Amino acid sequence: MNFQTPNNTLEWMVFLARKYSNMFIDGTWLTLYIAVIGTILGFLLGYLIGIIEDIRINPGDGVVRTVFIKLVKGIFGAYVEVFRDTPMIVQAMIVYYGIRQFGPEITPVAAGILVTVLNTGAYMAETVRAGIGSIDQGQREGAWAMGMSPFKTMLYVVLPQAFKNIIPEMANLFLTNLKMTSVLNVIAVQELFMAAKTVGGNYYKYFESYLVIAVIYFVLCFLFNKVFILLEKKMQGKTDYALAVEYMDNL
Amino acid sequence: MSDVIISIRDLSKSFGDHEVLKKIDIDVCAGEIICIVGSSGSGKSTLLRCINKLERQTSGKILYHDQEVRDKQKEINQYRSKVGMVFQSFNLFNNMTVLENCMLCTRKVLHLSKEEAFSRAISHLREVGMAPYINAKPAQLSGGQKQRVAIARSLCMNPEVLLFDEPTSALDPEMVGEVLNVMKELATTGLTMIIVTHEMAFARDVSTRTIFMDNGYVAEDDKPSELFTNPKNPRTREFLKRYLAG
Repeated sequence: MNFQTPNNTLEWMVFLARKYSNMFIDGTWLTLYIAVIGTILGFLLGYLIGIIEDIRINPGDGVVRTVFIKLVKGIFGAYVEVFRDTPMIVQAMIVYYGIRQFGPEITPVAAGILVTVLNTGAYMAETVRAGIGSIDQGQREGAWAMGMSPFKTMLYVVLPQAFKNIIPEMANLFLTNLKMTSVLNVIAVQELFMAAKTVGGNYYKYFESYLVIAVIYFVLCFLFNKVFILLEKKMQGKTDYALAVEYMDNL
Repeated sequence: MSDVIISIRDLSKSFGDHEVLKKIDIDVCAGEIICIVGSSGSGKSTLLRCINKLERQTSGKILYHDQEVRDKQKEINQYRSKVGMVFQSFNLFNNMTVLENCMLCTRKVLHLSKEEAFSRAISHLREVGMAPYINAKPAQLSGGQKQRVAIARSLCMNPEVLLFDEPTSALDPEMVGEVLNVMKELATTGLTMIIVTHEMAFARDVSTRTIFMDNGYVAEDDKPSELFTNPKNPRTREFLKRYLAG
């Protein structure tokens, strides 16, 4: 391909985006890949911890169960505290180099996903806890009073309602992750930020190069935000209902 | 004496220093319709919640068919599936339709087939006049309709005893009537009911036995014909007088 020499910022952006389209596209895919996988697994971890946090110790429980619950809660509590109170960029370094030093070989991408999962899990655990807490106690008592176990009550009654309430916060966490993958360049993950850094260096056009990825980040977040809003609307369900005419005889 | 289903023995309940229930002894026999009346704070609702094990008693015990209901979660679940409860605030599951509300526990606790759970739900919803609303969500119903659905939902479990915790207190006067009518109908089916209520006329007309609670004690426990016309305890007299005046 034959490129004319660009004259202004916009032309430089178009020039870089076209010339290095492969790098930007690969970086975008990797960013999405890490954000999506990391967020989904992180959400699962967060739900698990949020649910465990909610388990109560009953007077009728045995010693083993009591100790076990307290121990698990303690471990998860410490994990949440540590990951909420340290920066993700530092976590990335520690996890990546820690595993390389003391454990098996790990690729930067795998370490990046792991860090994203652990980070998301910690925040999500708090979000889920708050979501569960926002559901009126009466909802549980309604189920308990008919003999439903606390676990099934959580599964069928509390969680579906909590899920609906925390969709906006889940959207927040996902968008944060999409952008926070950029810090993973410190462990040499070839994501979008890394692509911009490399491309910018080729022509000493950092401003234009980072503007390109700013546009990409913006478009991605903008679109995903719309998806979440759609999901939220869908979860609200219908506002009207049809009377079941076949049972109208006794109205 | 007929079959005793639930025996409350020497039951006390404290919240911190505050003793809400003081050594309650009540036997509930099959087919009885017991109304518990008394001023607010006398412990009526707490007693009912203790019977359903939603509150844990501080001392004393609850026997179900002469077997103590212990604090094991499994035992509690099994017991609760036989002793249903209707709440003042309805507590319908907000994320489900009327039909789903009535089918959830029969499916997940009693493990009925879909068809069986459905036909039970419809037949009990018919009894309370709510069958046409199976597709509605709780938020789309009036208070009286919600309470009727909640009653149908409890009936789907085929309970031996049904507890009512001030079922009409959150309703306006017009809706109170529709719920009380459903309960009057139920009373004729032979279902054992324990009802905490402020509806004195209902208690007098429908109950087979009325308990007046005062300050955590059972102050009087008698046939309604006796309790309402010839109260023996001075506190009962005072309470009823104020009700009639008000």
